[in-house]
Amino acid sequence: MNSTGGSAAVSLEAVTKTYMVGEPVHALDGVDLEIPRGSYVAVMGPSGSGKSTLMNVIGCLDTPTEGMVYLDGQEVTAMSDRERTRIRGEEVGFVFQTFNLMPRLTAVENVALPLVFRGISVDERRERAAELLERVGLGDRLDHVPNMLSGGQRQRVAIARALVSDPALILADEPTGNLDTETGENIMTLFEELHAEGNTVVMVTHERPIAEHAERVVHLLDGEIERIEELEAVGTEVES
Amino acid sequence: MSWRAIRSHKLRSTLTTLGVIIGVAAVITFVTLGASLQAGIIGDISPDDRQNVYGWAAPEESSNQGPLAGAQPVFTQPDVDGLSEQPGVRAAYGYTSIPTQSVGFGGERIPRQDAVVATGVDYVDEDEIADGRRFEYGQREAVLNPAMANAFERNVTVGDTITVTIVGGFAVNATVVGITEDSEARSPFEGFGPGPRVYLPLDPYYTQLVAEAQETPRFPAIVVEANSIDDVDRAKESTRSYLETESDAREQAEAANLTYELQTSTELLGQLQAVLDQLQAFVVGIAGLSLLVGSIGIANIMLVSVTERTREIGIMKAVGAQKRDILTLFVTEAVIVGIIGSILGTLLGIVGGWAGAQYIDIPLTYPVEWFGIAIAVGILVGVGAGLYPAWRGARTDPIDALRYE
Ligand SMILES: Nc1ncnc2c1ncn2[C@@H]1O[C@H](COP(=O)(O)OP(=O)(O)O)[C@@H](O)[C@H]1O
Ligand SMILES: [Mg+2]
Repeated sequence: MNSTGGSAAVSLEAVTKTYMVGEPVHALDGVDLEIPRGSYVAVMGPSGSGKSTLMNVIGCLDTPTEGMVYLDGQEVTAMSDRERTRIRGEEVGFVFQTFNLMPRLTAVENVALPLVFRGISVDERRERAAELLERVGLGDRLDHVPNMLSGGQRQRVAIARALVSDPALILADEPTGNLDTETGENIMTLFEELHAEGNTVVMVTHERPIAEHAERVVHLLDGEIERIEELEAVGTEVES
Repeated sequence: MSWRAIRSHKLRSTLTTLGVIIGVAAVITFVTLGASLQAGIIGDISPDDRQNVYGWAAPEESSNQGPLAGAQPVFTQPDVDGLSEQPGVRAAYGYTSIPTQSVGFGGERIPRQDAVVATGVDYVDEDEIADGRRFEYGQREAVLNPAMANAFERNVTVGDTITVTIVGGFAVNATVVGITEDSEARSPFEGFGPGPRVYLPLDPYYTQLVAEAQETPRFPAIVVEANSIDDVDRAKESTRSYLETESDAREQAEAANLTYELQTSTELLGQLQAVLDQLQAFVVGIAGLSLLVGSIGIANIMLVSVTERTREIGIMKAVGAQKRDILTLFVTEAVIVGIIGSILGTLLGIVGGWAGAQYIDIPLTYPVEWFGIAIAVGILVGVGAGLYPAWRGARTDPIDALRYE
């Protein structure tokens, strides 16, 4: 264990991600961020400000060029690729804007997918996946393949999949970006429920009303944290 | 999940599997034919054939090219008479095939170029005669094998007279005195397969008819029968020394710079087997090449499949799939294709081998151990071909893969 991690679910120290495309592009530029356990954080910012990169770095999908990332006090930037993959599968639940479901697998199979790579038996997988689909309101769509489902239903399947490993952290990158307003609202209600149950949720959005569901809003601009807005405690805005 | 991927790309998977099927089927068919051919030949060599020495004189460059290759007519009747007196020798006689146009019986004429053999009495053993007796030397008599006797509309039986028309149109009659029990070749001189044959005494048929123009009739080949299998080497040695020192053949052989080829049937068989083995290796090589082509097909199709499924690989990695998991997934797919291809290929090969054996009329022998090898190779080809694409897939970066459309 190390001093910085402490009890925070996520902690970033001077995280920089640089892409070399002719000249260097700083997708993230010296980001320090701490996300307490059980909190609900929204990430906002214009297109290209580094929101997705931030999520990928937190979720162990991507590695920063510089700086350190701690999940639950463990430094993931020091881990092997194999270890990071394991953390990604067991400790992180990802929800994407484009759903990212396996087109040939049914809803239950999609939800159970993370468990396949953890060597859990078929019966147990199916049972757990069915339970979660029930929970997101798709108990009657277990054996449908994604293209037989609506956008909202697909995102529900993706959320159920993110929950199947009982992760410590739920990351959602514009989860309502491809949905109409009403469906988006329903999905947001689902995230609020998850948060109410004690899950740590980090969500990227560019819609203010959606961000307002969160406790805190992190504003990104050109790869840097512009400011952090605390929504519950009114008036405590911190300039960075 | 691999199985589902295979099923969902039916056409592509079918084509890939086809490559393996054809490769494996080709190997099995040719190996089966090779084994059947060899088994047929080895089965034809009867034990008493093994105590014979087959001899002919040929230019040096014709040696090792099989029985009678380059044989020149140098042996005389006194030579074979002398040879039969040599130590360890039971009998010696000349041998020649008589180039014919046709064999006729009862107004029917069957065109045959290679069916008529002129030789000594002992060429056909007494116990090989199923009906009648062996011919007598100096008599216009013939022994037929069943394939010849039954080739005519009305079967030839003992006592009938057949007509042999030799090249040049000259026809001679012979009374059939015996029918052999089977139609197998009675010596390596006849080749190794069964076929219709007429056996005639050298005298009168060769000495008086074919070699008429010659002052002393000379035979192109001799057969020396040893007293027993243990005497074969001794008989071979004494034959050689007789031929080199005392024979009539010596003068002509020296003049034309011929060497004596003296070989036991076992030696001849060994030579033939070596040729067959080479042929087999060549054909199996070609079949192996088609397997290789099949494997390139698998690799290519797997690569397409990996690229096509880049996004799926990204998703799997994003939810915790290790490199190893992706590798396993694609290799499994390749192995399934390999196994299915091998099994179907083996079945096809078994049928192919059977059909081939029927067609060239040889007894069928399945080299079962080769089936195992072919299946193993088919699966290995699957794994081998699948490995690189699978490795490519496993290496895919999840972020890039998820961005991939
Ligand atoms: N693979 C990449 N190669 C080069 N530049 C990239 C790559 N991924 C992201 N970027 C750049 O990094 C910046 C941040 O991207 P991203 O995190 O996707 O922004 P956002 O999600 O806020 O729209 C952008 O300028 C983008 O062009
Ligand atoms: Mg983005």
